[in-house]
Amino acid sequence: MHYLFFFLRKQYIYFLFLLLEIISLFIFFNNNDYQNSSLTEVSNGFAGTVQNFSSNISEYFSLRRVNHILAEDNAKLHSNRSEAFYKADTESFYHNDTLYKLEYRYISAKVINNSTNKRNNFIMLNKGQRQGIENHMGIIMGDRIVGQVVSVSAHFCWVMSLLNKDTRISGKFKKNNQLVNIEWNGGDYQVGEVKEIPKHVEINKGDTIITSGNSDIFPEGLMIGTIDRYTIAQEENFNSATIRFATDFNSLSFVEVLIDMMRKEKVDLKNSFKNSVR
Amino acid sequence: MTIIFLKNVGRFLFLILFQVLILNNIQVNGYINPYFYIYFIMLLPFETPGWLLLLSGFLLGFSLDAFSNTLGLNTAACVLMAFVRPFVINVISTGTEFMIGHSPSLKNQGVKWFTYYTIILVLVHHFALFYLEVFRFTEFFQTLLRVLLSSLFTLLLVFIAEYLLYPIEK
Repeated sequence: MHYLFFFLRKQYIYFLFLLLEIISLFIFFNNNDYQNSSLTEVSNGFAGTVQNFSSNISEYFSLRRVNHILAEDNAKLHSNRSEAFYKADTESFYHNDTLYKLEYRYISAKVINNSTNKRNNFIMLNKGQRQGIENHMGIIMGDRIVGQVVSVSAHFCWVMSLLNKDTRISGKFKKNNQLVNIEWNGGDYQVGEVKEIPKHVEINKGDTIITSGNSDIFPEGLMIGTIDRYTIAQEENFNSATIRFATDFNSLSFVEVLIDMMRKEKVDLKNSFKNSVR
Repeated sequence: MTIIFLKNVGRFLFLILFQVLILNNIQVNGYINPYFYIYFIMLLPFETPGWLLLLSGFLLGFSLDAFSNTLGLNTAACVLMAFVRPFVINVISTGTEFMIGHSPSLKNQGVKWFTYYTIILVLVHHFALFYLEVFRFTEFFQTLLRVLLSSLFTLLLVFIAEYLLYPIEK
């Protein structure tokens, strides 16, 4: 026993090293499944305050570009107002709310931290639980996709950007609705990978890829990007291509959080089906 | 003693903020992201006891992780680097006397010593960090390229800092 203590005291540094390393790896792998742990909430709150301060300063440098985007959006919205439409018969003009149920609501949020240079990139937004943000909500910019919410604190949320090894977007060719998967393989933040293109689909440079609406996160028809280069694989069953993202991830400043009002219903339906099969 | 302590605390805060607010925003084609904050571990005084070295490495990595939503990633790499540091110093030193209360520096230990010291420690940290982040062997060579390029950039920053902090008199 005496020797054991002597040994432990002499070699304590190795044990301390092992202990600390195990703790950090434990945190790392436990935190990797993007669950809302109390640890991330604390760090989100504190880090958010600092990042918010820094983004308040850097915000001024992008005002010109932001203005430009807002002006474009304004023009788009104006052209959708009822005044912009020619009414042929003003007497029979009516609006029926029961036909159009609100499915998606949008909340504008400011990007306060963003990266494109890591293998796994995240974006921090200045909206959180208090504003009704929850996990798995989609983030878009105009009609282009950005990512999905993975962790929320009271006033901030972390978004797993499209530029992440765990992001897999279900997309389709706009011209013929053929389903494909989109991933990002690291490196250039403007270029991603389109996987599992069926052999019979004819690929052209510049083909548009949009979201398929198959996932619960994004509705159908949002812009992902255009085909950049493609390879016809001889031995394999699928062709592959690279895609040039429509979103410029390096210059995000204001984005919108997509709130799916019917998400609960969709998820419940899916779960009830799964349960009944079992 | 207190002065050395306060100096290191100040350095800690400065390097974390510098890393989070400036270096993390540098974007060069997705291959280069320097992690200059580990300069803190490199500059701890020679006689720092092992447990303190490990604990400050843990704290440093954890603080950085809290800012970049990578809990545990930088912590693991920093603890490893802090653990390796005494061995590196032992291996590359050739019986030169180290003064009490001094930190490793380009000026006192010479260019050759300091270059070996920096290269080994930076490589250990970057290798651990990038491979843990990717955690996939299919991207082995791409990650290797990122490790090497980023290490080069970190090295450059360390040497610039050395020349700025301790100008060599002629």
